[in-house]
Amino acid sequence: MAVIGTALPDPPRIHRIPQSKYVDAVRWLPQFSAFDRFVVLALFDSSSDSPSSIEIHSLDTQAVTLSSQSTWAPPSRVSSLKTSQLPGRKPLIAAGTVSGSLHLLLANSVDASLESEFSVSEEELHVGRVSCVDVMEGGGEFVSVGEDGRVNLVSVAGSELSFRRFFDSQGLVSYTSAKWASPAEFVTGGYGFSLQWWDQRKPGGVASQLKGNWAQRMSGIVQSIDIHPSRKHTCLAGGSLGTVFAWDLRWQQQPIILSGIGVGEDGTHPACESEVWEVQYDRHTKSTNTGNISSSRVLPAMICSEDGILAVVEQDAEPIELLAEPCAINSFDIDRENPSDVICSLEWESIVLLTRP
Amino acid sequence: MSDAQFRRIAYGSVSPFALLQSRRNSAVSLSKISSPYHVEWWEYVMEYSKDINSLLSDPKSLTSPAIEDPKAVLQKAEEPICLKAAWDVMEIFYADKQSQSWLPERLVDWLAAYNGLLSSTQATIHSQLISFQKELVTLQVIEDSPKYWEVLSAALAVGWLDVVVKMLRLHGSYQLDQIGNRETENGLVEAVAVLISKMPRLRPELQAGTLGECHRAKPDFIKAWEKWRAHITKLDCSAYWVRCDHDQTRKGLRNMLQIMLGNTNSLCTATCHWMELYIAHFLYIRPFTVGLESMYSLARKCMQLKPMTISHRLIQLLLGIIGDNTEVVLAECSRAFGPWMVAHAIELLASGSDQAETLLREEHYNLGGISIEELHRLVYAQVLSSDALTWQIAPIYLTSCIKQGMGLLEILLSKQPVQDVQILLKVIEICRLYELDSVSSNIMKIAGVYHWKHGRKGSGVFWLQQARDEVRLNRIAQQLFDFVGQSISDESFKQWEGLIELLGSESKTAGGLEFLHKYRDFKKSLKQVNDGKTTDAAQQAVESLISLMKNPSTPQQFWLPILYDSLKLLSCQERPLLNVSETNLLLNKLQELSMAKLRPDFIEADLPPQALGSVRLALATNLGRAIVEE
Repeated sequence: MAVIGTALPDPPRIHRIPQSKYVDAVRWLPQFSAFDRFVVLALFDSSSDSPSSIEIHSLDTQAVTLSSQSTWAPPSRVSSLKTSQLPGRKPLIAAGTVSGSLHLLLANSVDASLESEFSVSEEELHVGRVSCVDVMEGGGEFVSVGEDGRVNLVSVAGSELSFRRFFDSQGLVSYTSAKWASPAEFVTGGYGFSLQWWDQRKPGGVASQLKGNWAQRMSGIVQSIDIHPSRKHTCLAGGSLGTVFAWDLRWQQQPIILSGIGVGEDGTHPACESEVWEVQYDRHTKSTNTGNISSSRVLPAMICSEDGILAVVEQDAEPIELLAEPCAINSFDIDRENPSDVICSLEWESIVLLTRP
Repeated sequence: MSDAQFRRIAYGSVSPFALLQSRRNSAVSLSKISSPYHVEWWEYVMEYSKDINSLLSDPKSLTSPAIEDPKAVLQKAEEPICLKAAWDVMEIFYADKQSQSWLPERLVDWLAAYNGLLSSTQATIHSQLISFQKELVTLQVIEDSPKYWEVLSAALAVGWLDVVVKMLRLHGSYQLDQIGNRETENGLVEAVAVLISKMPRLRPELQAGTLGECHRAKPDFIKAWEKWRAHITKLDCSAYWVRCDHDQTRKGLRNMLQIMLGNTNSLCTATCHWMELYIAHFLYIRPFTVGLESMYSLARKCMQLKPMTISHRLIQLLLGIIGDNTEVVLAECSRAFGPWMVAHAIELLASGSDQAETLLREEHYNLGGISIEELHRLVYAQVLSSDALTWQIAPIYLTSCIKQGMGLLEILLSKQPVQDVQILLKVIEICRLYELDSVSSNIMKIAGVYHWKHGRKGSGVFWLQQARDEVRLNRIAQQLFDFVGQSISDESFKQWEGLIELLGSESKTAGGLEFLHKYRDFKKSLKQVNDGKTTDAAQQAVESLISLMKNPSTPQQFWLPILYDSLKLLSCQERPLLNVSETNLLLNKLQELSMAKLRPDFIEADLPPQALGSVRLALATNLGRAIVEE
């Protein structure tokens, strides 16, 4: 069985903060003051006039409540949300919507008010949903991928956003997730557990790709990708049927499966059985196998899934289950500056804050 | 109650409901012989009731102030809500088997918590207290105000002893400068206060801060009760009353003693609402539990003495419960509190008595063969399904309905919009949990066709593969090869490669990249032959034809189309292009094809009916000529 987090000697503290709207995504805003911590929420309220909104909330660590500081209404529901920092410690929020537009919001470092907003409208960028948006470290460039099979690179040029279409498969391939690996390379994921490695120096198509057909009849979609800054040749992907796997560019035909179908025989159990919505490397968890820290070893990562599990998975170790909710956990974020704090959004209109000792 | 609050209650009640259902299922499967309602069953129901009760409290409960206001008569408590009041009263009567022996005291507590809700038009003791509290600030001499004594008697009548004692201690005779002159008066007030605080109560325990002496067993209680009454009578007959100067104090205190002795007139005058009179009866006249029938007749009597103008829904519910009328209770819940209440409270009602259980769980012909319990669950599930945020909870309720639940679940899942990929994935997950494979595959087929038609060919193919829709996949494979056969530009070919990758892995008919490359080369060379450009175009074409037919990755369904396309090659006038072995190979392939036609999963290619015949003829002719040549 997976190790249950509450049975650990130092269990994490769990605080539930119910909301009155549906939470599409939640992210920590990079901390710019020692006292306040801010969280960005993408909300949806079907009964109001402007149903979708992006709000910055301040987190009161004593009372554990969230209070709204500023809000902005995108033209349609947010489908992907990322945060980063521009050079000069200016916090930045990037959001992609279901109608295909991309929006960039800059926040004020002092009072978390939204200062400026740039966008690329829907007709130009994507036809249909923006599946994923990713911001480069340092906030210079963005990659946006969509169901229509387009891969766009967007950058801030003065006071507007300019974009160029890096690849257009004309709908023959749909991409569902994306992540920057280095200033010139990024990874995208799609249907059939496929991963594509792109290099800006080799335009016109993929540089290398993986077609995940290790499980004969079961196939799925890659929902989320993460790349560790110290292991840029490996990318970690999570997707359908509880599958979490790592693809190392040096051994392209042998992906390492951390959790999911096909793992059960070795003795470790899969962390969850349904869609893994998000996967992030977890800097807080110390690797159990400290002897073997070769670069081919996959570092511990946290996942959240449709069947309500938030767990830390590691190669060849039992997954540690931190939360087991009766409803789906749709997104989570680990605070960069305090990796012991994790904030998640639940299907049933609430937010959970997890603090690990 | 706002929508968000209702949703929060709905979300929170899913787990307790599911837990109770699974416990019932395991209890039924374990004890097929005896009734599933053995001793521990009511404990499960009680746990369920407490879990749901905790959801109904307002989350914003007020924190008590650090310094207590000496003049604050009523403690600030959380705003009561009607739903919680209704749930509490049902829990008291149906679920809480342990406290059946001290039911009247439970009702006293209930009234204390919810008195404010009982009437908005008529006065209640609660409203009296609130308005008196406002006046209290302005009063100089409290004991002169007649309202003070009215409120005191009223609070005493419903058993709010802590409030009474607190108010008594506000009496002017306690003030330090007064104590000298008003010694007797003060003594009398204090005596009454002490008597009140020592009132015997038939209950196991009291909350901190409330007054009275608890007795668990009836004999102990009766003894203490007799003693207490004797003390009150003694005080009533004492000589000190004559020496009490303050008229109102004397009258007020003696009235309070009358209330404690159970004087019906005093009780009637002191209370406003019939429920308060009812509770007062239980406290001072008959503190023992009696059967529901006599409780009901007592209630009727009180209602006659204190008629109501408008009846509150809580009152109607309580009357239904005391009247032991399950149908009335259900009707009241449904009318006044909504489908959520009915769907969840039925569990409490069913555990109340065997008759109630039979009534609720037997199948009724006029309801379409389902039970009342199932009917209300289905109604609630419909309410949940109508909201985009709560439809995902509905399956839990639907699957507990044995007769019509699964059918409605399938309809619910099929109605969800598959355009949104998140919702599609959630629907498929629900199908997986409840093993609804056919529903899942239908929905995936619809999604696949939808994506294909809107230009997202990759995702369309993926969903069709997940649905194992061989028919459409074959049609797509056919379309694909037609397309590749026609346009040969490298640009578009590269784009199709991605799609072939996806198709190639699972569909047996697609053949894969290798075949596609060879097929493209073959088509290119055929085109060159048709254009008549180069002389060894024909030779090239033959070579690619042979390598195509030899290659194991060429799907069988394409053999005949390829051969049919190359008819021109085969019937070349000048000389046979294929040698004997090659022609034999092709003939063997044709033979294999006609054998394969007999198999059930063979897919016919879209060719004119004489295609096979003409190919065979052409090959035979070729063979003849080739043999002649050699």
